Amino acid sequence: MNLPEASASASGAGALAGIKVLDFGQMVSAPFCAKLFSDYGADVIKVEPPAGEAARRAGPFPGDRAHPEKSGLFFINNTNKRGVTCDVSVPEGRELFTGLLRWADVLIENNLPRQMREWNLTYAQLQEINPRLVMISITPFGQTGPYSAWNGYDLNAFHLSGASSRYCGRPGEMPLEHGTFSADYFGAIAGAAWGMAAMFGRDLVGGGQQVDVSCAEAIAAAFVGGQNIGMAAQEGRFDLRTGVGMPLGAPATIVPCKDGHVWMLALERGQWEGLRKVMGDPEWARLEMFNDMYVRAQNADIMYSFIEEWTAQHTKAEIMEKCQAAGCPITAVFTIEEAASLPHLKARDFFVDIDHPDLGRIRNLGAPFKMPASPGGPTRPSPRLGEHNDEIYSELCSLPAAKIAALRDRAVI
Amino acid sequence: MSQKRPLEGIRIVNLGWVWAGPIVGQTLAFLGADVLKVESRERVDMMRTLPPFAEGKPGPDRSLSNHAAWAGNGSVSLNLKEKEARQLALELITHADGVVENFGPGVMERFDLGYERLRQAKRDIILLSLPSAGLYGPLEHVRTYGLSLTSLTGLDSLVGYKGGGPIPFENAFADPMAGIFGAFAMVVALNHRRNTGQGQHVDFSQQEGIMQMVGPAYMDYVLNGRVAGPKSNEHPLGTAAPHSVFRCRGEDRWISIAVQTEAEWAGLMRAMGEPEWVRAEQFASAQARIAHIDALHARLAEWTAPQDDRALAELLQRHGVAAAPVLNVGDLLRDPHYAARKTFIEVEHPLGFRETIYGAYVKMSRTPAVVRTGPMIGQDNERAFREILGLSEERYRDLVERKIIY
Repeated sequence: MNLPEASASASGAGALAGIKVLDFGQMVSAPFCAKLFSDYGADVIKVEPPAGEAARRAGPFPGDRAHPEKSGLFFINNTNKRGVTCDVSVPEGRELFTGLLRWADVLIENNLPRQMREWNLTYAQLQEINPRLVMISITPFGQTGPYSAWNGYDLNAFHLSGASSRYCGRPGEMPLEHGTFSADYFGAIAGAAWGMAAMFGRDLVGGGQQVDVSCAEAIAAAFVGGQNIGMAAQEGRFDLRTGVGMPLGAPATIVPCKDGHVWMLALERGQWEGLRKVMGDPEWARLEMFNDMYVRAQNADIMYSFIEEWTAQHTKAEIMEKCQAAGCPITAVFTIEEAASLPHLKARDFFVDIDHPDLGRIRNLGAPFKMPASPGGPTRPSPRLGEHNDEIYSELCSLPAAKIAALRDRAVI
Repeated sequence: MSQKRPLEGIRIVNLGWVWAGPIVGQTLAFLGADVLKVESRERVDMMRTLPPFAEGKPGPDRSLSNHAAWAGNGSVSLNLKEKEARQLALELITHADGVVENFGPGVMERFDLGYERLRQAKRDIILLSLPSAGLYGPLEHVRTYGLSLTSLTGLDSLVGYKGGGPIPFENAFADPMAGIFGAFAMVVALNHRRNTGQGQHVDFSQQEGIMQMVGPAYMDYVLNGRVAGPKSNEHPLGTAAPHSVFRCRGEDRWISIAVQTEAEWAGLMRAMGEPEWVRAEQFASAQARIAHIDALHARLAEWTAPQDDRALAELLQRHGVAAAPVLNVGDLLRDPHYAARKTFIEVEHPLGFRETIYGAYVKMSRTPAVVRTGPMIGQDNERAFREILGLSEERYRDLVERKIIY
């Protein structure tokens, strides 16, 4: 086993120590992007409207009882951040916000462009306040182009990318998203990569800039475009979803088994032979019509009915273990519960327990990647609404306590 | 002086193959890094063999999908089966800041290019490894394909029609996502190196990176013990209705409609002409609509079915409703939004053909991305071996002749 060396030489500070970030986002894309900064050591301040950002109302809540301090979505995307409230729609609030902007290196936001215009917080305006600011804007459609004026959410962005039409759902039936905020997550990661590079090279390039992420465009280009656009442009034809993992080679799809589902993949000769062996060398599998992955695909219906007869008698764990040992890339389709209790992830210390004042001790997903010299990942809970108002407005904006109290009375914070 | 890009001066040796690794290189190259992808004619990367080919002529330098996904990477050719080639790779790495690989645990060691070896050659080198399930642990050698890797995260169990079993996602969403995520990890590691002088070996388990996407369903499990399953296009947290795609006029035409606020609901009703059925008790509040989401979706589907998807999206947007057409691949090239943002661009390849690839998938106001065509195998050999390593003409020719550089 190849254990990472002990981080005795680690400096203790995270890799992004010293970088100052404002998270002015709601729900998933901008908050998750900012979490990637906070989990690797940046100083991230979350700025919420006085009523709290939308994730606080989205849940999931323990026992389904809505409570602004008990939203699971807010918790998981806002670890390691401090939190303030600020009503940027009133002049006093906007002024407070500009004070924070002068402090910040990076602003991460996912408001619709028209909303930012309404608040007088366009990049052109922010650039005057802080020319060194890197502004990462993550929206469904982006800052330019005809749909930049549109209202939109994760769902609209994902289905505008071509991904669902091409890759997910049965032919003729409704195209599907993943069952999570896929476009938001994809956009968040693109924003983090390009935005962090803009921050890293800020002095080299001569100052700050706006990093404009359209969640729809990022997926349309880097996922769908990469594999399809050349053919569409050159030959004027394109493919649609088939409902099968790989229509041209087989077996390559999800099939039911005794206790759920497995990803049944045995394309190359060695893999197919491994699968045959695990299945007990059944006679049907020796038929010529199943000789290679292409003819198997042509006879897929018959083949899958044979395979499913066998999988129906075995559990996903059994099938995965035996097939992997026989050299096949067959895996269990783990449920959320199974993934959350995988011994492999426990052995890697992936999960981390975090004490939250309102939720109690929560087992959280850990760092997305391991950096032995500068460990990352969540260590502190998400902030309560306005938790750090006094601390931040007095230290960073030098406001006296009386002024902060007055702002609170007038519901600016 | 021309505008500098944020990662100018950073050199990356990219041993990545297929999709995720090359996308790390592409993203860093868009941002100004000099990325040298190491590959060989001895064993041509399968991505280079994917049809269709430019002008219909097969060849490892003509795969269109390969070009789109790899554009930005440079290419040096080294047959790593040969010891001398591995030594040259190591020498290149001494002139680099970072190394990327997505082979799987142990392979770099077998090439004698493991992290300890790299660190001896260059003290502060950053090695970014992107194995399926990490560099260690019981599943370290798990075999997956890009499109099935998501099954290890719980994500695949969420995809499908409401009440049914999981439906496979037919390509590896995880690959470009992990590639872009990996580019972030590399810049984070570069930042740490600048702060402290330390390099490191980043263990990017694609499983753990992609699993972040199931966070919302994971929290429902942690807080309530509920195990989510497929639910078509409903809101991941069940807090919005309507929230789906609806059939429109024409073959396989659909529109996405998501309503989260009362104002949007009112807008939808106005756009529909305040139909009689809306007044039913079951649609009177957001909570009631969520509780009767199937009935609501059925009503909406009746209304959208005879309409044109684009015209309907425009109408709904005028009323403030989040609605957009569901595009197919053919639409991407014709769509006015993508055209305006130059999402897809036609470029002239050095081999003399024109091809359409994607350009900067993120727009930077000060430092627009540098967009290049897909690399030809070995296109940067002269620069890498003669200029960077300073090999003599004679030595270089000899290495080419003996297919070390190949």
